[in-house]
Amino acid sequence: MSIDARNHEDAETFDGTGDESGGEPGDDENRSPIQRWADDWIRNPEKAYAVMLVFLGGVLLTTSLFPLYWLFNVAMAPPGQTDIPLIPATIDLSAFVQVFQQVPFARFMFNSLFYAFTVTVFVLLVASLAGYAFGRLEFRGKTPLLFALLVLSFFPPATLFIPLFRAFNQQVPMLGLFTLPVEIYGTPGAVVAPLSAFTMPLAIFILTTFYGQIPDGLEEAARVEGTTRLGALFRVIMPLSAPGVATAGILTFITVYTEFFFSFLMTGNSAAEWAPVVDGVIAFQTQYTVRYDLQAAASLIAIIPVAILVVVAQDKIISGLTQGALKE
Amino acid sequence: MARVKLTDVTKQYDDVTAVDEMNLDLKDGEFICLVGPSGCGKSTTLETVAGLTKPTSGTITIGDREVTNLPPKDRGIAMVFQNIALFPHMDVYDNISFGLRLRNFPQDEMDERVDEAARVVRLQGMLDRMPSEMSGGQRQRVAIARAIVRDPDVFLMDEPLANLDAKLRVNMRTELQRLHKQLDTTIIYVTHNQAEAMTMSDRIAVLNKGELQQIAPPLTCYNQPANRFVAGFIGSPSMNFVDATVGDGTLDADGYSVSFDTTAIDGVAEGDAVEFGIRPEDLYLADNSGEAEDPSRTFSVTTDVLEPMGDEIFVYLKPILDTTDDGGMTDFEERQGLLMSVDPATDIREEEDVEVALDRARIHLFDSDTGDAISHGVVADADIEAEAERDGAQAD
Repeated sequence: MSIDARNHEDAETFDGTGDESGGEPGDDENRSPIQRWADDWIRNPEKAYAVMLVFLGGVLLTTSLFPLYWLFNVAMAPPGQTDIPLIPATIDLSAFVQVFQQVPFARFMFNSLFYAFTVTVFVLLVASLAGYAFGRLEFRGKTPLLFALLVLSFFPPATLFIPLFRAFNQQVPMLGLFTLPVEIYGTPGAVVAPLSAFTMPLAIFILTTFYGQIPDGLEEAARVEGTTRLGALFRVIMPLSAPGVATAGILTFITVYTEFFFSFLMTGNSAAEWAPVVDGVIAFQTQYTVRYDLQAAASLIAIIPVAILVVVAQDKIISGLTQGALKE
Repeated sequence: MARVKLTDVTKQYDDVTAVDEMNLDLKDGEFICLVGPSGCGKSTTLETVAGLTKPTSGTITIGDREVTNLPPKDRGIAMVFQNIALFPHMDVYDNISFGLRLRNFPQDEMDERVDEAARVVRLQGMLDRMPSEMSGGQRQRVAIARAIVRDPDVFLMDEPLANLDAKLRVNMRTELQRLHKQLDTTIIYVTHNQAEAMTMSDRIAVLNKGELQQIAPPLTCYNQPANRFVAGFIGSPSMNFVDATVGDGTLDADGYSVSFDTTAIDGVAEGDAVEFGIRPEDLYLADNSGEAEDPSRTFSVTTDVLEPMGDEIFVYLKPILDTTDDGGMTDFEERQGLLMSVDPATDIREEEDVEVALDRARIHLFDSDTGDAISHGVVADADIEAEAERDGAQAD
């Protein structure tokens, strides 16, 4: 740039715009409130983070809790009303009682809880053994086996419905050799067996990680003290992996409790035929009428067991349980 | 209480032999230490006795039962681990009584035994604490109580003191010795700390690379090491090793030679390359050489570094070589230096020439190739000494 260029008319204009865009400190009064605000946030990013956090938290809470609130609103509305106000006109809890009077809703809930509980116990038991093997033993083919489990967990369960349905109805021989000795279709077994299989891989992965972290010394100490390997698993490794066991258990429980596809199709439609809780909610829908208020109330009631479980288990998920076990 | 016998025990991991044909025969009530550097197979040996690792071949007998294929719980053993391994989810009482509960002991007998064990390790009044609330030493005592409460035939201890601080370690060492006297149980103790091995054990088994080097009482290992490895491993600071050649009635090292009677020792002949070892306390300054059992003639060396320890001074000595070119060797051992310990009151400075003598009775000769000990102590060659005396008298 030559000296001439500096004295050119354009140079003046350039200086003027430079001043306005506010590179210099100390001329706050020249800038708009938004500019000052942005400047403040750039200098103190923690302020920005705090605002973002509140905003994000608010969005998450609204999106997750509003549907529940809406369900409550629907349950409050009188039967047949389709125009639901944002704030209920009256608080009338009779729908929550009617739910149990019109259909055996308690039995529907029991069915689902029974599935969830049975599958959870079975999965924790089997996945513990698998988790012990994968997490603590060295054997040939360990990685391929784990990989196979992973693949299994990606498999869409729906594709297995037809073959399982036929097998449970004794229509196809298992492995081409024998048909099932009894018809499983319509019994709890028809739900528990496939759902156990589908929830198993995740439980195995969680427990493998946790069991693998328990120091060898503790297991060896238990074995020297007089347990078998299995005894050490259940007396020492499992209690010390309580957070992992709780996590795997809760995930399994919730998955099965809220499962619809298999538990709906593998059982009858009435509560006595082991129909799940979703059937109980649908039961308020007849050929001619739909009781949306009762369905909403039923849905809210169905949430309660899971909500209680999560609250209770949160206490149980104590990390740092192994503190002091070993001198680091 | 029981005898423990290992016969040809070998443990192989893929291509590594962790324990190679180990033979050990422990007497009833004996306190034996397995020592060796890291990775020498001492822990693996202990694990095979415990049943936590199955040997590739060989047999293990405890008492008069062969236990090679029995699970740990049926072997009548108790073990104290290096990392203590208390069950963190149980209080002290539950930790100590864990083994008893598994064996369905009645409650009152269990209480009695736990109280007794807690008394022995001085843990009364702490039975309801959790391990996380205790100090390292207390935890270690709980681990020991857990081991003694079942009254096992054999105690296995895998570096139980390694994770404690120095002061606590010495305390626990004496406590363990007291315990051994009190219980009179066979103890197999693994450690890489030779001070622990020397002070506590009836016999030491020195291991290296999975092979048993020597099993003998501590002082025998110290005074009559079976080979160069044992000689170097036992004793702190380590024994000096010097490459030498056997001459005509002399042991010739770089810069000096020591006369000895070659005919009195089997297996050495003139011209043999040998390695001789001498402990730092068996080197003397010329003035003090009278303290040696059989002092050699003095020779000149240069002092290098001094390490005053308070109760003694370690002096690094460099032999004076004919040539000033040391071939680029900087390492003390490579230069065949000698470490000498002297009285702290000695007036000695770095980089000065001093006259030193060796105690012939304490020279160890090792075969240069195999490292096996040829002789512990050599005797003076009468002819040469007489000649030297005459020379000395003439010079005066």
